[in-house]
Amino acid sequence: MHELSMADAIVKTVLDAAEKNQAEEILEVTIEIGKLTMLNPEQLRFLLEVLTEDTLLEGADIIIEEIPVKIKCNNCDYTGSTNLDDSDHYLMIVKCPECDERNLEVITGQECNVKNIRIEKPE
Amino acid sequence: MHKIAEVEIQHDIMVANKKIAQRNQRMLDKAGVFTVDVLGAIGSGKTSLIEILIQKMNHKIGVIAGDVISKFDAGRFQKYDIPVIGLNTGKECHLDAHLVEHAFQDLPLKEIDLLFVENVGNLICPVDFDLGSHMRMVVVSVTEGDDTVEKHPLIFKDADLVVINKIDIAEAVGADEEKMANDAKMLNPDVEVIKSSLKTGEGVKEIIKAIEDFMK
Repeated sequence: MHELSMADAIVKTVLDAAEKNQAEEILEVTIEIGKLTMLNPEQLRFLLEVLTEDTLLEGADIIIEEIPVKIKCNNCDYTGSTNLDDSDHYLMIVKCPECDERNLEVITGQECNVKNIRIEKPE
Repeated sequence: MHKIAEVEIQHDIMVANKKIAQRNQRMLDKAGVFTVDVLGAIGSGKTSLIEILIQKMNHKIGVIAGDVISKFDAGRFQKYDIPVIGLNTGKECHLDAHLVEHAFQDLPLKEIDLLFVENVGNLICPVDFDLGSHMRMVVVSVTEGDDTVEKHPLIFKDADLVVINKIDIAEAVGADEEKMANDAKMLNPDVEVIKSSLKTGEGVKEIIKAIEDFMK
């Protein structure tokens, strides 16, 4: 539901990096979105397309990589994901798939990371 | 001549928010201001609960009222003659650490020892944005339906105190407040769950005690 503000922050981050690197064109941007964030990748993509109109980022390929949820159990030290399907990914932060312990740490799945860009610049 | 280059950025916007939140908490610690996030859906009773706490708690209280248009809630708090900052989020569905940082700076922190930060009515978006508070209180009312807790696991998983409000009308709306309490405990075994009715006053003493215990 807050994709607009996140898209806005992503665009600013990318344009800032492009300027620092003397980009004349941005060909591609890769963004990592954790599955535990309240961000819908398709809504985010739509808003990025709208916000990048008339900027250096317009027309660039937007690659969104979803980061799966990984947890570490504080009881049995299990570290990793589970075989749960996509719709049940919240369940694995509730209890450990190995020992049912509820004291867990979330290791990955909370990202909204602007990973990299591919640009065209003068030699 | 042009060349194609790959530029590593690795800028995580969530981490950027978290860093500001940590800075906020250091500032609040230094000023000796215990801060409580008040979260919950529209109409769950967040504003009413804060109004009661202002009147019943023996503390120097301040409030940050965050809302799409904040003047309505801020106006309700101002009549108690306490420091209040209204934070308009405009189109946004949540407060973030950067927004509240400015409000913290504008508040007379020396005159406050307990600060409530009322978030925008929403059980989804605020989950992603740590503000730097010391305690998270989620207010959920029976009128939202007794499946509300299990449908929003993340906000309840991170809560320190869950208030199940409007239990005086649970029967009339066909909601099982016990189920809501059990769901909260299932998601977050250590969380304190208090059933309340701000109309009858039930549960208010327990909420005050829970906040004061947390402040110790």
